[in-house]
Amino acid sequence: MKKWNKSDLEKIRASQEPDRDWIRVGMSTCGIAAGAEAVFEYLREEVARRGLPIEVKKCGCLGMCYAEPLVEVRAAGLPRVIYGQVNRELARLIVESHLVEKKLVSDHIYSFNREE
Amino acid sequence: MDKKYILVKDTRRAGADQTEHFAGLLAAKIQAGPAADSVQVVRAADIGFYDQGLVLKFLPAGPVYLNVSEADLDRVVSETVLGGRVLEDLAAAGTARQLRVVLRNCGVINPESLEEYIRRDGYRALSRALFEYTPEKVIEEFKKSGLRGRGGAGYPTWLKWHLTRSVPGDEKYVICNADEGDPGAYMDRSILEGDPHSVLEGMIIAGYAIGAGRGYFYIRAEYPLAIERIGKAIGQARERGLLGAGILGSNFNFEVDIRLGAGAFVCGEETALIASIEGKRGTPRPRPPYPSVSGLWGKPTSINNVETFANVPVVMTRGGDWFAGIGTEKSRGTKVFAVTGKVRNSGLVEVPMGVTLRQIVFDIGGGVRSGKKIKAVQTGGPSGGVIPESRLDTPVDYENLQKLGSIMGSGGMIVMDEDDCMVDIAKFYLGFCVEESCGKCAPCRIGTYQLLKILERISEGEGRSEDLDQMRLIAQAMQKASLCGLGQTASNPVLSTLNYFENEYREHIQAKRCRSFKCRDLLTYSIIQSKCKRCRQCFLNCPVQAISGDREVGFYIQLDKCTKCGKCFEVCKFNAIARE
Repeated sequence: MKKWNKSDLEKIRASQEPDRDWIRVGMSTCGIAAGAEAVFEYLREEVARRGLPIEVKKCGCLGMCYAEPLVEVRAAGLPRVIYGQVNRELARLIVESHLVEKKLVSDHIYSFNREE
Repeated sequence: MDKKYILVKDTRRAGADQTEHFAGLLAAKIQAGPAADSVQVVRAADIGFYDQGLVLKFLPAGPVYLNVSEADLDRVVSETVLGGRVLEDLAAAGTARQLRVVLRNCGVINPESLEEYIRRDGYRALSRALFEYTPEKVIEEFKKSGLRGRGGAGYPTWLKWHLTRSVPGDEKYVICNADEGDPGAYMDRSILEGDPHSVLEGMIIAGYAIGAGRGYFYIRAEYPLAIERIGKAIGQARERGLLGAGILGSNFNFEVDIRLGAGAFVCGEETALIASIEGKRGTPRPRPPYPSVSGLWGKPTSINNVETFANVPVVMTRGGDWFAGIGTEKSRGTKVFAVTGKVRNSGLVEVPMGVTLRQIVFDIGGGVRSGKKIKAVQTGGPSGGVIPESRLDTPVDYENLQKLGSIMGSGGMIVMDEDDCMVDIAKFYLGFCVEESCGKCAPCRIGTYQLLKILERISEGEGRSEDLDQMRLIAQAMQKASLCGLGQTASNPVLSTLNYFENEYREHIQAKRCRSFKCRDLLTYSIIQSKCKRCRQCFLNCPVQAISGDREVGFYIQLDKCTKCGKCFEVCKFNAIARE
């Protein structure tokens, strides 16, 4: 594999990631222990099955371990939100309501107080 | 018009959660007006504020309103929803917020993607160090930053690097101490799992600064996912020339290996850690010589903690002055805490140094889960101590926590409420230290054991009035004569509980009473006949058949059979079991 030099890194930084929608599932030990793997697999399959233009990604721990598994959603036209204690049923609701109907899902959003 | 969203949450502690009621009211008011189709009212599960009445948060980018009353809702609709104006009297202010420096990428990037890390400014610090800075200048930048070791002791990072660099020799080492072992602490695990490249980058920069050619990650084997992700990160970095010979086209060479700890707490102590990497028994040795002079294989070695390394790239990219602008005079930057115990939101919290314990527990952690009164916060693990409720307004930094008889430690923070017995807490930590003492030096090996025996006696109702002085004496001897930090600090949980909660100890010894109902041997259970409905639940649930009687004559606990497990107390729906 090609070894990078300083300017190669600059090029990667300059190449903006395409501005696409994503779903992130927290997949550190805390998330996995709470069942994130099943949620991740389900979302992957469901998004593929419906052919939705959104990428399902893994990420680390956001710190809100009490609310794992955490799923953060960025879908065009809606604000970025984090859903907590996500199980298969809630994941289905997120796909149907948030992704398809473009409505936030009540009672499951965890918002945390930090400097952006 | 872009669609707006309003998150609603009733954050009052007392009474039933009225989120649904208020969300319905607000939605109805909006429905009746011109914004009906452009606003969605959403009930939140957690809105990031606690005990602040009704909270409204406007998304995507709007104000947060606290303590909103039903009467305010009309104003909120007419001014903010329709008019786009912020109601200053309701807007949130003054609650502590998190600041993410170390955890900047955790939960944001895919930890297994090198490209994502690079796009988030990854390895920019390394390029800068290699091509724009001499090693001395790197160290100078860290002197400016005021970064201190995040493993617990708070030694200035620049000084450690400077000392290691100044010792002559062309073979030097960097070690990343990832042998996180304090009960309840898992900051390092999350950083390694969530952003492994930042730790690796910090380590490479440290290698450059001190003139080392090799580094070791010393990770406890109980962290398989952290090991896997760091291993992947090292592999990716090697493939792309971020490790190995001539890094990024410079003339700096650096290699990294992983060594696994086998589960001994003492191996987090630097000299024991070095012995363990060398394949020897993991026991400490006297210092000096310090590892900066004679460390791994007798060569100059700098050992830094995971979180310290994760800070390094930020200091290099944003500058020492920027970093020094965060925190308090002597403790710069942020600190990650693992807040656990009786807190509502257990998890990782990163705050600027100088935030108070109360802000961490209440503003961010959401307060005590049970709603009971907070009794104390334990920091620093088995080397730390408890800080009572009366001192929770102390700004958190290295010096302040030490003054209170605890330590910053690696960042474990355990919240305790009225159900936690301080004798029991001290006993727990001493039990841990007895298990984990390596046994090499007598003060620690014997001292921890004797302290534990006395604590056990006190909790069993066999305490003597001279025990407290005796424990203080033993603690003093351990502090002065133990070989390493484990033994020198193992008595801190005893000393700090004795210092702040001596009356609880005295109650145990003199009145044979445990006010938190934790010390089993001091409890007696009995059935209050006037309240008993003879439902038989206690009788059916007692695991040792210590409850006799029937529905005719009533039920009685046979004290000679009772093991004081508390099952009857738990199952009784009529509060008819007395616990004293």
